[in-house]
Amino acid sequence: MDDLVIGMAGSGGDGIVSAGESLIAAAAYEGYHALMTKSFGSQVRGGESSCRVRLSTHRVHNPGGALDVAVALNWDDFLKFGAELPVSGDTVVIYDSKSGVAPNALPLVGVSPKEVFAVPIGDMAKAATGSDKAKNTVVLGLIAGWFDIARESILRGFRKKFAKKGEEMVKANEKAFALGEEFARAHPLERTRKFDRPESNQGNKLLLDGNDMCAAASIFSGCEFFGGYPITPSTEIMQFYTREVWKYGGAVMQAEDEIAGIGAALGASFAGKKAMTATSGPGLSLKTEIMGLASIAELPLVIVDVQRGGPSTGLPTKPEQSDLFAAAFSGHGDVLRPVLAPTSVADTFEVTVESFNIAEKYQTPVLLLSDQEIAQRKETVDPIDTSRFVIENRKLPTATDLQDYSRFKMTEDNVSPLSHPGIPGGNYQGAGIEHNTKGNPTASGKIHQQMNEKRFNKLNPLKARRELFKLEGNADAPLALVAWGSIAGVCREAFIRAKAEGLDVKLLVPWLLYPIAEEVYRDFFASVKAGFFVELSHQAQLHKIVRMYVDLPKGITAFCRGGANPIQSGEVVAELRKASLALQSPAQTVASED
Amino acid sequence: MEKTRSIDFSKLTLCDALDLATIVEEEAKERYGEFAHQMEIHHNPDAAGFFKFMLKIEALHEGRLADRRRQLFGDAPRKVRREMIFDIEAPEYDEVRANMTHRQALETALNAEKKAFAFFDEAAKHVKDSEVQALFVELREEEIEHAGLVEKEISKLPPDSPTDVDDEEEPVAH
Amino acid sequence: MTSLPTFQAKDFKSDLKPIWCPGCGDFGVVQAIYRALAGIGRAPHDIAFVSGIGCSSRIPGYTTAYGFNSVHGRALPIAQGIKMAKPDLLVLVAGGDGDGFSIGGGHVAHAIRRNLDITYIVMDNQIYGLTKGQLSPTSPRGLKTVTSEYGSLEEPVNPLLYVLAYGANFVAQGTPADMAGLADVIEQAIRFPGFSFVNVQSPCVTFGQEEQQVKAHRANMKSLPSLEHDPTNRLAAMDLAQQYGRSLHTGVFYKNPDPPPTLDAQVRERQHNLEGKAIPRERILDMFVQK
Repeated sequence: MDDLVIGMAGSGGDGIVSAGESLIAAAAYEGYHALMTKSFGSQVRGGESSCRVRLSTHRVHNPGGALDVAVALNWDDFLKFGAELPVSGDTVVIYDSKSGVAPNALPLVGVSPKEVFAVPIGDMAKAATGSDKAKNTVVLGLIAGWFDIARESILRGFRKKFAKKGEEMVKANEKAFALGEEFARAHPLERTRKFDRPESNQGNKLLLDGNDMCAAASIFSGCEFFGGYPITPSTEIMQFYTREVWKYGGAVMQAEDEIAGIGAALGASFAGKKAMTATSGPGLSLKTEIMGLASIAELPLVIVDVQRGGPSTGLPTKPEQSDLFAAAFSGHGDVLRPVLAPTSVADTFEVTVESFNIAEKYQTPVLLLSDQEIAQRKETVDPIDTSRFVIENRKLPTATDLQDYSRFKMTEDNVSPLSHPGIPGGNYQGAGIEHNTKGNPTASGKIHQQMNEKRFNKLNPLKARRELFKLEGNADAPLALVAWGSIAGVCREAFIRAKAEGLDVKLLVPWLLYPIAEEVYRDFFASVKAGFFVELSHQAQLHKIVRMYVDLPKGITAFCRGGANPIQSGEVVAELRKASLALQSPAQTVASED
Repeated sequence: MEKTRSIDFSKLTLCDALDLATIVEEEAKERYGEFAHQMEIHHNPDAAGFFKFMLKIEALHEGRLADRRRQLFGDAPRKVRREMIFDIEAPEYDEVRANMTHRQALETALNAEKKAFAFFDEAAKHVKDSEVQALFVELREEEIEHAGLVEKEISKLPPDSPTDVDDEEEPVAH
Repeated sequence: MTSLPTFQAKDFKSDLKPIWCPGCGDFGVVQAIYRALAGIGRAPHDIAFVSGIGCSSRIPGYTTAYGFNSVHGRALPIAQGIKMAKPDLLVLVAGGDGDGFSIGGGHVAHAIRRNLDITYIVMDNQIYGLTKGQLSPTSPRGLKTVTSEYGSLEEPVNPLLYVLAYGANFVAQGTPADMAGLADVIEQAIRFPGFSFVNVQSPCVTFGQEEQQVKAHRANMKSLPSLEHDPTNRLAAMDLAQQYGRSLHTGVFYKNPDPPPTLDAQVRERQHNLEGKAIPRERILDMFVQK
C-alpha cells in the first residue's frame, strides 16, 4: 500500500499530537511524503486534541478523506472532531479498551468498521513506563507493527527526544513501543497492509508548516522588518521573526494592535527596507486604511492573510477561503492591489518570493492569501534549489533623477524611481493625499485621472504572467476545474483520479488571484463545456470575481461551502462524473417519463 | 537678552552688530513677505498690499546695512545668525488676522517699529564697544522715525467701522 | 559665539508656503522647529518627519526633510517603523491633540514604553481646526462647539499627565508666545535619547477661544524654572501637570537624569550579538531538514 491516512484523538495530556509529530518526523526522515494536520478543542490547555497524518510514497496534495486508521484514546474526545476524522467501513479502528466500549458497539453512527481492535493501551503504557503518559508511544508501536512504517526512524526519534531526560526514559519508551508492536503481531490485520518503501534517499526532506515556510521565504527575499500582532492562525510567522530576523540585521515589532503593526511595516518600507505584516481576517479588516495609504503612496509592502472562518471572529481554528473579496477590494477608493495565494507548504516558498518581487517592482502592497490549513499543517517538502530564484529590488533614483527629483515621475512603465530617507537630493513628502508628480497635494481632476491610470496600468504586466497559473490536463478538455489555495490540493487529487477514470478534465490553479488575468481565463475556458470553481467559501468568491471580467461558459458553476466542512477529492470526482455524463447526453439528467 | 539666544552683548564687535542689525531687518522683511502671502490667499488685498510695501521698506533697510557692513568688513564670515533672534522687528505671527483692516495692518507695523526701538534701546545699555553703542543708538533713533511715519499714515485713515472689524463670513467659534 | 554650524534655519524651510489662517500658532511652531533643527545639525535628507491628519500635520511639508503626511492617528506607528528600520535617521512626529489623543491615543502609551529615539511634537489647541470647529479630546468641559451645541459633557484628557504617567522620559511644554523657549525645548527634546514629548499650546485663531490666543499665553504663561521646578522629579512634574487647562507652564516638566537605553540601541546590540548565528539566506531552509 502506498497511501495511508491515520487519524488520532485523545485528551490534551495524552500526547496525541506528539505521536503524530514523531510519526511524521520519522516518515520524513525515511523519505516518505507526508502531511499532518492538528485540531484542538477550544480550551487553551488540556482540552481534546487530534491529528491526521497522511503518509505516501508519492506526493500528496491534501490531508485526504476517510481515515484508513482511526485511533481513539477515548471516544468522547474522538467524537468531538466529527467530520475531521471520518470513519468508513474500511477504517481500522484502534481504541483503548479501558473505555469499556465493546468492539461491536462503537459509538459511531451509520458505520460499522470491519476491523476493530480494543487495545489495553493505558495498561500497556503503565506496564512499560510506570505511568500512562506513554500511551502515545504504545500507539506508535501498534502502527509500526501493523503497517511496518518507519520503525527504525521512530525509535531513532525517541532517542533524540528523550535523550535529555535520561537513558531510563528512552528504554521505558522503547519498551512501550515494543509492547505495541507485540500486540500488533499477536493480532494481525485481516488483510496484511504493509507500507511500500519510499523511493528517495533518507535525510534530505524538509518538514515544516506553511507559516514557517512563508517566514523563511520572506527572509530569503530580503525582508528586514516585520510589524504585526498575534492572531490565530498567523502568529507563528511573527514568532519566527522574533527568533531569526535580528541575525540578519533586521527587526520585528509586536505592535500594540493590527493597525500599528502594518503602520510600522509601512514606515520601514518608506525608510527603504523590505517589510511585511501578517494577520488573519479580523486583522485584515483593521489594516484596510493603511493598505490604501500604501497604494496611493506607491510603497512596497507584503501583507499576509492566513484565512480562517469568517466573518468577524468566525471560526478561528478552521480554514476558509472567504477573504478574497477583502483582499482584492477592501478599502475605499479606486485601488488595484495584487493578490496571490499558495496552494501548499511547498509552493508557499515561491509564492512568497514572488509576492515580494511584485511588491518591490511595482511599488505596491501585495496580499498573500494563505489559509489555516496550509499555514499550520506540517508537510514534507522536497529540497528547494533557492539559486533558481531572482530577487527583485525597488527602482532607486539615479544621479540624474536626484538632480530634480520627482517622486511620482511619469515613466514608460508607470513605475517611478523610489527614494528614501538618507538619500541626498531625494527628499520628498509621502502622503495619502492625491498628488502631482512632485508629490505635492492636488485636487485637480486631470491629475487624479493621470495618477489613477498610473497606479492601475503599472500592474498590467501581471495579467500576462502565465507562469503564475498552473495548468494540468489537455488544453482542449471540455471539463474544467478551477481551484486555489489549499483546495487546489484537493482538486489536484480529484484531477488525477478523474483522469484515471477516463474523464477528459483539465485543472487551472491560479497563484495570481487579482488582478484577473482575463486572457488566461478566456483561453482556458475556450474549450470548456462544463465544470466547477471549487472553493471553500459560502460565496465562491473567485468565481464571482472572474465573472466580473470574463464571460464564462454556461456550464461552469461553483462547488462551494464554508469552512469547517472539508471538501474531499472524492466529492469533486463525483461531481465531475455527473458533469461528464450530462455532457454526453444532456437528456439523461431529466427524469424519464416512461 | 530677551528674544535672543546665545548673544553676548558685552562682546559684540561692530561687525557683529551690523550683522545683528541686518538680520533683524532680514527677519522683518521675510515676515512681511509671509504676511503678504497669507493675506493674498485669504483674499485680503488691502492688508496684502500694505505688507508687500513693508517688505520693500525692510529690504531697503537690510540692503543699506549690508552694504555698510561689506564696505567696512568685506565678506568676513558672520558670527551672529538668524537662529539667535526671535521676532525683534518682525511682527509676531499672532498679530495678523485673515479679516484684518488696512488700519490694523498699519498698527501691526507700528507695534513692530516700537518693539525694534525698545530692543536697540535696551541693547545699547549692554554693549561695551563704543562704536557698537553708537550704532545701536543710531538704529534706535531710526526706529523712532519709522514709527512716526507709520503713525502719520494711520492718522490719515478713517476709523474702522464696526462692520469692518466684525466678519460675518468667517466661521465663528461658539 | 561658536563656530559656524553646517546648517541654518532656512535650510530646513521648504518652498511650500503654509495655508494656515493668519495668526495660527503653528507658524511660530514651525519657525521654532527650523531653529531647533539648525541647532542639531543633521542634514535634511537624514530626517524623516511623520505626521497624521490635521492643520498641524501639514508641518512636515513645510520642511525640507523627508516627510510622510500619513493617516489620522497613525503617525506614531509609522514613525517607529522608520526608526526601527533605519535607526541612524533623525525621526520626528507632529500632529494635533485630536490626531494624538483621540484616534491616535492608543498608540501613545506604546510609543512611550517602546522608547525609540524619536521626538513627538503635539500642537494642542483644544479643538479640531481642519474640519472646522469640533470638540477635541483636550477641550474643556462645557465648551460649546459645532459638536457640543449645549456644551461638552466630557472631561478633557490631560496630555501632560498622560505621558508622564506612562513613563515618558522627556516631557516639555511650549508656546509660540515664547519663541526662544519653544525652540529651546524642541531642541532639547530632539537631543534627548529616547522618546521625547513636547506639548505645544498652539492656538487655533479661527475656532479657538479668544482667551486662549497667543496674547493670552504671553500674559498667563509661567516658566517652570521660575517656579523652581526640579525637572528630574517625575512626581513633582505630575503634580504641576495636573494644572493643565488652568495654568500654562512652559519649559521642561521632566527630563530623566539617567535615561534608560533606547530601543534602537538595544536592537543594535541584539543584532550585533546574533549576527554570527545567521544561516546564509539562500540556505535558510536548512533549519527544516529532517536529519
